[in-house]
Amino acid sequence: MKIIDVEHVTKRFSDFMALDDISLSVPQGSVFGLLGPNGAGKTTLIRILMRISFPDQGRILFKGHPLASEDIYDMGYLPEERGLYKKMKTGEQAIYLAQLKGLEKAEAYKRLRAKFEQFGIMEWWNKPVEELSKGMQQKVQFITTILHKPSFLILDEPFSGFDPINANLLKDEIAQLKKEGTTIVLSTHNMASVEEICDHIALINRSRKILEGDIFEVKNRFKKNIMSVEVSRFSDELLERLDNQQFVVKYGPTNDYYTRFEIKIPDNRTTNEMLQLFMQYSEIHSFNEIMPTMNEIFIEQVENANQLSSHEE
Amino acid sequence: MRFLSSRWKMRTNFPAMKNKTLLVISREYLTRIQKKSFIIITILMPILFVAMIVLPVLLVTLHEQRQFSRILVVDESEIFINNFEDSKHYEFSYRSGDIEQIKKEAFEQDFDVVLQILDNSQGMKSNIYYKKSLPTGLQSEVEDQMDDIFFNQLLKDSLNIEPSRYENMQRLAKAESATIQIDEQGVEKEHDAEINQIFGMVCGLVIYFIIIMFASQVLRGVLEEKSNRIVEVLISSVRPTQLLIGKIVGIALVGLTQLVIWIALSAAILGGVQLAAPHLFSDEEVETVTNMTSSGDLVPEGAGLSVAPENIFEMIQNYFAISFSAIILCFIFYFVVGYLIYSTLYAATGSVVDHESDSQQYTMPITLPLILSIVFVPSISTNPDGALAFWLSMIPLTSPVTMMVRLPSGVHSWELFLSMGLALGFLVLSIWVSAKIYRIGILNYGKKPSWKTIFKWLREK
Repeated sequence: MKIIDVEHVTKRFSDFMALDDISLSVPQGSVFGLLGPNGAGKTTLIRILMRISFPDQGRILFKGHPLASEDIYDMGYLPEERGLYKKMKTGEQAIYLAQLKGLEKAEAYKRLRAKFEQFGIMEWWNKPVEELSKGMQQKVQFITTILHKPSFLILDEPFSGFDPINANLLKDEIAQLKKEGTTIVLSTHNMASVEEICDHIALINRSRKILEGDIFEVKNRFKKNIMSVEVSRFSDELLERLDNQQFVVKYGPTNDYYTRFEIKIPDNRTTNEMLQLFMQYSEIHSFNEIMPTMNEIFIEQVENANQLSSHEE
Repeated sequence: MRFLSSRWKMRTNFPAMKNKTLLVISREYLTRIQKKSFIIITILMPILFVAMIVLPVLLVTLHEQRQFSRILVVDESEIFINNFEDSKHYEFSYRSGDIEQIKKEAFEQDFDVVLQILDNSQGMKSNIYYKKSLPTGLQSEVEDQMDDIFFNQLLKDSLNIEPSRYENMQRLAKAESATIQIDEQGVEKEHDAEINQIFGMVCGLVIYFIIIMFASQVLRGVLEEKSNRIVEVLISSVRPTQLLIGKIVGIALVGLTQLVIWIALSAAILGGVQLAAPHLFSDEEVETVTNMTSSGDLVPEGAGLSVAPENIFEMIQNYFAISFSAIILCFIFYFVVGYLIYSTLYAATGSVVDHESDSQQYTMPITLPLILSIVFVPSISTNPDGALAFWLSMIPLTSPVTMMVRLPSGVHSWELFLSMGLALGFLVLSIWVSAKIYRIGILNYGKKPSWKTIFKWLREK
């Protein structure tokens, strides 16, 4: 079940192409990482999803129907560049923003009191926003984004400006929302948090989508068949045999007791064959497959795509 | 309406789009009228206004209550002896002898001033001796009386004319003319051309100030939302046009509120002052003040409150070439349309720039016509039917001010309707253009867009 389907969306600004025939699907209930270098077109896509801007071609489906203006009541958006009215009182302002998202005043008040308590900013309710620290302002912004309990949420760089403690608070909140069935699109350059909380990703580069899929499936697709084996002792014959069978080997001591091997399995060999050699000539301490990090995939895929397009030109 | 069945029920608890505009309006309105600066200005202005009217009167009154001047006249020409007229504030006594000796004694005998009139062989010259301070108005009082006395003396001596006869002649020779305008239907109506001019100028100026004050508040409001980056959150909940309309209407309501409070408060304070100190507005006092302020224009029209209130409306009605209510209606029309034109254009300007200091480059072409219309107010009020007046009252950016200046002197109805039509048409155009620019501008940071880029935005979907 998809909550969002982007179908062949193209958006052209007067002097450049922002989105070039983008199609992607966000599965219901997923945390979806929308990745890409600066200027790739992520913000343009997000604005189209939020009906702030409209595509030149293509369309957006929300829960299977073409995205309509009432759907924004079921969506929440935390933009990357975000702010609040500086002079307006914090609580009053939060109520206003919640009302704009369709909540009744009394209901907004009730939910806000609870959230303000939870985030520990209750005492700032009657203070103008300009007296709040940046972190507290971020909290207020996050609260107003999720207060109307949208089923679809877009968070653009939500962790920027948060200290590690508050970042964790936010991660817990995201996990809780996911548990409640909210679909979350997370746009960020922080690949560590992508690994940690996303289960799907799409990678956009220079207005085109270059990668999309389940995060495990994507990693699998780009793994390089490199195994890591840690041994406590080994005979010199091991190196000879590995070399004979065309295994490419890097090794070095990890500490006083262990030596770590990184072995690339060639196409005509199997992992089992490699392990047999190790069993014969060494004492295996640990063994695992090295999976690429999202960071590596990001950099590699973007660089590849850029090389390709420069060849085209 | 394919979602009527299942989704309709789900959505009914959400406010309709119109309500969100109301929400924006109420925020714009409430945050502004709760500001300290708003409250202070709203209360202070009527006080200042009333003070401007009352203070001169009050000052003079206080002055005069304290000061009763005894003047000792030493007349060497002997023309003036016993000819000064005593009044409430001045008492004249006469003495002759050595001036030095008299001066010494006079101040001991509680005279405030010694007036020495020199022999009149070299014209009419006098010295006024005083200690500490010279009572206000004393010098002019003395000079006026001396003029009269001397003139009457001349009349009698040289022309052998009795002063009372001369006064009669003067009264007879006074010309008085009524200005009567014949309107399109041939109906003749007496009205005062000068008052028309003044009233028109006041209307034009009021419209100008209101437009400048509140339209620039719209600009600042738009800029505030853009520079504190709340705008992207807002337009993910409301459409940009709703935000824009909400802001413009909200600020207009703030302006109206302020205006109403100003008028009501001024009237209340004036009324209060009048009740508390009715003598302040007696004819005599007002006249004194008018005389004192040399040109008389320092005293606002409101000072002439001695006119019975029920007659004021009728009186005003008679002054103008067209009916007073028509003028008020036109005023409201041009006030509303002028404000809307300028505030939408200013909003577009605010959306284009990142900082207020950058906005001037873009507001210049919009504000210039408004300034021009003010610059030309004097020439238009003296020649309300000239070519300049006609064209400026047709161009929508200048017509709100110019038409209001012309109106009290009478304008052909086709001209009025054409001007209104053009203004309305231009308003529609400026709303369309501004909405387009605003929608893109508020999300466009960094480089200031060129006019060419802005023009491109107009064609964007």
